[in-house]
Amino acid sequence: MFNYVARRLLLAVPMLLGAMSIVFFAMRVLPGDPCVAMMGDQATTEALADCTRNLGLHRPLAVQYADYLWRSVRLDFGNSLRQGYPVSEYIGRMFPHTFILVMASAVVAVLVGVPIGIVSALKRRNPLIDYPLRIFALLGLSMPVFWLGILLLIVFSLRLDLFPLIGGGDLDAVLTMVRSGEAFSYPGDFFAAVGDVLHHLALPALALGFTLAATVSRLSRSAMLEVISQDFIRTARAKGQAERAVVYKHALRNMLVPLLTIIGIFVAIALTGTVLTETVFTRPGLGKMLVDAISARDYPLAQGAITVFTMTIILVNLIVDMLYAVVDPRITFR
Amino acid sequence: MIDPAITTLRSFRITERGTPMPSHTRLRRSLMLVTALAALAIAALVTLGGPPAAEAQRKKIVNIAAKEPDTLDPHSSTLGQSQAISRFMFRGLTRFAIKDGKVTTAEVEPDLAESWTLSPEGTIWTFKLRKGVQFHKGFGELTAEDVKFSFERQIKKAPGTRYGVNLDVIKSIEVVDPYTVQIALTAYDPIFLLRMVGYQQGYILSKKAVEKQGDQFKWNPVGTGPFYFERHAPREKIVLKAFDKFYAGRPQIDEVHWFDVPEDATKLIGLEKGTFDLLYPEAVTADFADQVKKMGAVIDRRGPGQQERFYINMTKPPFDDIRVRKAFMHAIDRKAIKETMYPGDLAKVATSCVPPGYFGHVPMQFPEHNPELAKKLLAEAGYPNGITIKNYFISKSFFYPKVLTLAQEQLKQAGINVELQVVEHATYHENIRKNLNPFVLYGGTRITDADAWLSLFFDGKEIPDPATGNKGTNFAHYKGIDDLLHAGRVERDVKKRAAIYAEAQKRMERDLVCLPISDVPGQWARNPKRVSTPFAADYGEFSLHYSYNYPELLKVLN
Repeated sequence: MFNYVARRLLLAVPMLLGAMSIVFFAMRVLPGDPCVAMMGDQATTEALADCTRNLGLHRPLAVQYADYLWRSVRLDFGNSLRQGYPVSEYIGRMFPHTFILVMASAVVAVLVGVPIGIVSALKRRNPLIDYPLRIFALLGLSMPVFWLGILLLIVFSLRLDLFPLIGGGDLDAVLTMVRSGEAFSYPGDFFAAVGDVLHHLALPALALGFTLAATVSRLSRSAMLEVISQDFIRTARAKGQAERAVVYKHALRNMLVPLLTIIGIFVAIALTGTVLTETVFTRPGLGKMLVDAISARDYPLAQGAITVFTMTIILVNLIVDMLYAVVDPRITFR
Repeated sequence: MIDPAITTLRSFRITERGTPMPSHTRLRRSLMLVTALAALAIAALVTLGGPPAAEAQRKKIVNIAAKEPDTLDPHSSTLGQSQAISRFMFRGLTRFAIKDGKVTTAEVEPDLAESWTLSPEGTIWTFKLRKGVQFHKGFGELTAEDVKFSFERQIKKAPGTRYGVNLDVIKSIEVVDPYTVQIALTAYDPIFLLRMVGYQQGYILSKKAVEKQGDQFKWNPVGTGPFYFERHAPREKIVLKAFDKFYAGRPQIDEVHWFDVPEDATKLIGLEKGTFDLLYPEAVTADFADQVKKMGAVIDRRGPGQQERFYINMTKPPFDDIRVRKAFMHAIDRKAIKETMYPGDLAKVATSCVPPGYFGHVPMQFPEHNPELAKKLLAEAGYPNGITIKNYFISKSFFYPKVLTLAQEQLKQAGINVELQVVEHATYHENIRKNLNPFVLYGGTRITDADAWLSLFFDGKEIPDPATGNKGTNFAHYKGIDDLLHAGRVERDVKKRAAIYAEAQKRMERDLVCLPISDVPGQWARNPKRVSTPFAADYGEFSLHYSYNYPELLKVLN
């Protein structure tokens, strides 16, 4: 097991390096200059030259690349060109917002998508149940998150006034209270802060979760179909076991492996989904930060964000691969 | 595949208690359970974390939707949102004057300096500072040292500072006593008091705070303005709080929450919902203005804003012939361009090559739109088949491509064909300084005096020339008012100066060297039921801050 993890982590290094290099060069191939983006119409030649020198962008590209890699090895992603904050500190602040959004939308997607997929697979011969469920899945796939997001905002935030329009709640306060132990001394304040965060999280998680639930439901449906066509299910039924027992005891357990694969894929899709979700809901987070960083040509910030995205996806896939062995004892690591 | 026989047997099952239960009943129960749980979750979420409305009512909070500033160091940023928020926290020695209930950018009045004198030869300004002015966060009283430091850091071009060029006229700064500062100039400067306005280079910072915080100052600003910086949640909001010791009295507003909202559509939803009281939009379109009006909000329009204009290079054939320049001007329908770009009240057709709001502005006359007359003039000048301008460079950013394509169509009607090459904004700036375009489209705002404006765009010394490396902005290559500019720089009588610049505009009108298109005001949307300003919405104040000149005079109404 240890060898397996070590090998996987080693393999992750070239992947990460590749992703970082692509981002580095892609950002520089993009037309536009960070200093021009920063100065707008006041971009005189002298001011631009000053700015380029101050930001170190006057150096040859190879030097900048080598510097970037060497710094990254030391986990120093540099400072944001625009705002001057250290990128690692910036990402540290943004990551929790994106993390809880991905987790909450995962909960929504799994709670909605998996049961729908299972029911749809089991009731595939009943068009009254299967068709509406498949239409629901199709709807989710067809609705872009920015459209659904604006719709949710107009209905639940503007018209019904049930949810806030923007922001992510005071997540910093929640984290500080957890770290300092105040969460236990002042549980009232802590739960109020958590409530505020959840209040802000509900609509974005619903929007992202719903659009992803469609994918999850389709994947779960085919996973379930595959499982229930296996011989051991037929045997279970032939024994006269109740359908519930067949589904819960035999089919669901065996569906866990494909379900884990789905969750692995889901994290990648959800992370990219946060870009649009956070922008539409004006939530702080890595996705919104990435959009702003790219439009401002804030190279270090964009590079840092994409590196974190890549690392998260690699890590989640590693965890998923390790969990395979937990849910299926037949799988061993070599 | 599952045997169909098995599936048909599933319609009734024996439950553990032995009661037969139809599968659809089970499904209904499950659905009801899920619905009930979902309803409970939504109810909990809605009630949890109670909306901040109660807090907003207790405190007087103004919520602003704008983009996030790139820095809070007022000497460092050129972005509109950064300059706008600076005005809430910083002040200068002088400020734009309030005259007859309006704010003018053409005159100044005392702010951190309570008085000043100018030496007889006109090169030494002595400012007496207002006593008892406090910096935020306990950084003590404002002294002459802070004034000296604030200007010198820019003159020495401290990393990131951008406005040192506006202080090049300063030779030395001397602290006479804690409340007196003497600034010696290289020569008399008629607009020096405008340079000292709390705006860009004019803001006074706490020396102690800058020295203590170093690079961190950009997110820990310390000024003397009506609001102090409280905290920054990146990509979310900046919180400013009323400064109890603000020298002109504590503002009525307790807190300003500056939200990072990049999308104008979200800003509008927020204004309608009441989440935001003030919007700083990215672009005010006719649709945006309509929506603001429909929801009962107002647009605060403030001059001088930005002027978009053409300069015609009078030394480059065929435009060295005044008839061709006149033909060019007859070909351009300024009103049509303005109406397409900024319908109705969104901007005004420009009236002079010195925008209104600048000291010395007088209206000018320009050739009216008449393509036939343009063709006739071209024929007279020896171009009966019109002219073609190849490789005309235009920036792909801001208003440039839109205005130029409109103008291109109009010029074509008059026989002037322009073949466009769209380039990056920086390349455009480079190319126009290499004189590659025979006429140049340009925009922007500068220090609000005809001297500053005309010296940049019409002084013979500012003619760009790649051979000498001069990267000036006299794109017309005009030398016709050099004598007047010189006279204006040494003239101390205000009326005589105004007359000099009126004469300069008359000469430019005669020589046909510039064609201003639109004067586009700075615009914010405001919920008038929540926030009031003492100045009229329509050009009630002129401002260079991309914001309100006097945020301390904004009031929360309920």
